[in-house]
Amino acid sequence: MTDQTTTTDESAADAGHGGHAEGEQSMRGLYITIFLTLGLLTVFEVYIPEVYSAAWSGTTKMLLLTFLAFAKAGLVATYFMHLKWEKPWLRWIALMPIYMGVALILIMLETMYR
Amino acid sequence: MDSGHVAAADHAAPQTSVPEDPHFGKASGGKVGMWIFIAQDGMSFGGLLFAYGILRATATEWPVPSDILGIALTAIATFILICSSLSMVFAVEAAEKRDQVGLVRWLMVTIAGGLLFLGVQVWEYMHLVHAGIGFAECTWEGETVNSLFGSTFYAVTGFHGMHVTAGVIYLMCILRGAMKGKYTQGGTSSSPVELVGLFWHFVDLVWILVFTFIYLL
Repeated sequence: MTDQTTTTDESAADAGHGGHAEGEQSMRGLYITIFLTLGLLTVFEVYIPEVYSAAWSGTTKMLLLTFLAFAKAGLVATYFMHLKWEKPWLRWIALMPIYMGVALILIMLETMYR
Repeated sequence: MDSGHVAAADHAAPQTSVPEDPHFGKASGGKVGMWIFIAQDGMSFGGLLFAYGILRATATEWPVPSDILGIALTAIATFILICSSLSMVFAVEAAEKRDQVGLVRWLMVTIAGGLLFLGVQVWEYMHLVHAGIGFAECTWEGETVNSLFGSTFYAVTGFHGMHVTAGVIYLMCILRGAMKGKYTQGGTSSSPVELVGLFWHFVDLVWILVFTFIYLL
């Protein structure tokens, strides 16, 4: 992310964190939008196992559900946990479990194809 | 109107008291510390979920989770946790606006969500144990199933349940302070509310992953 974008994001956070009433309203609207998105994605997720056996293969179901789960987790971290408005260093710290995940996947692949 | 300006000035005081860091900006030491804790806790959950995946992938027989676990009930519990995340965001917002009534109300809603989630989990555990799904031995409708199904299920969801319990206790401690006006009076910092919020959202985030990997896949 460029410095310019970071500055814009920080301004948005300042507006939302107690500046103007308009900014507060837009932050509240943003939170409700994220909440509704999470709810809808959950309904979609629950619906997938109902239809997959007839329409999709197990791998498609697994990839789709995994993608949806990480997308939802990303929304929570980005907006509810305010990572969108934090400096890059804090974001790198927050991504630590992902580095571990990559390392574990590499170890698993190495074991499988040894 | 004047009192409004005074309140705004009080609000600004703690925000500017944190020195700007070249790497972490306005983030307080507490916030950086909480994020480091969350990252390492995330790795704990990651390790458990990876272990679950490897055990399941290498097992000769594994029951279809949705045949045994109540997906509809857990989906409702998931939704309750997402609702409590929204109320937590509103609590943090109220603390930053020095709105004590709003802060107390939204913290109470968040705690209620956490307790409701725990209630559903306890009910689910009792139902599963009665049906034959134990930690070390598993039977379902008279047939023996892989005992690792029960072991991994209780280990992962139990570890998460303990986080929810810790989160509820943490929230109750913050609520006690909020009732005394500890985070909303002039000159005080709303940072502790933001920190408990980070932990609570993390508990919600982890459940989103646990719900998918343990229940739906």
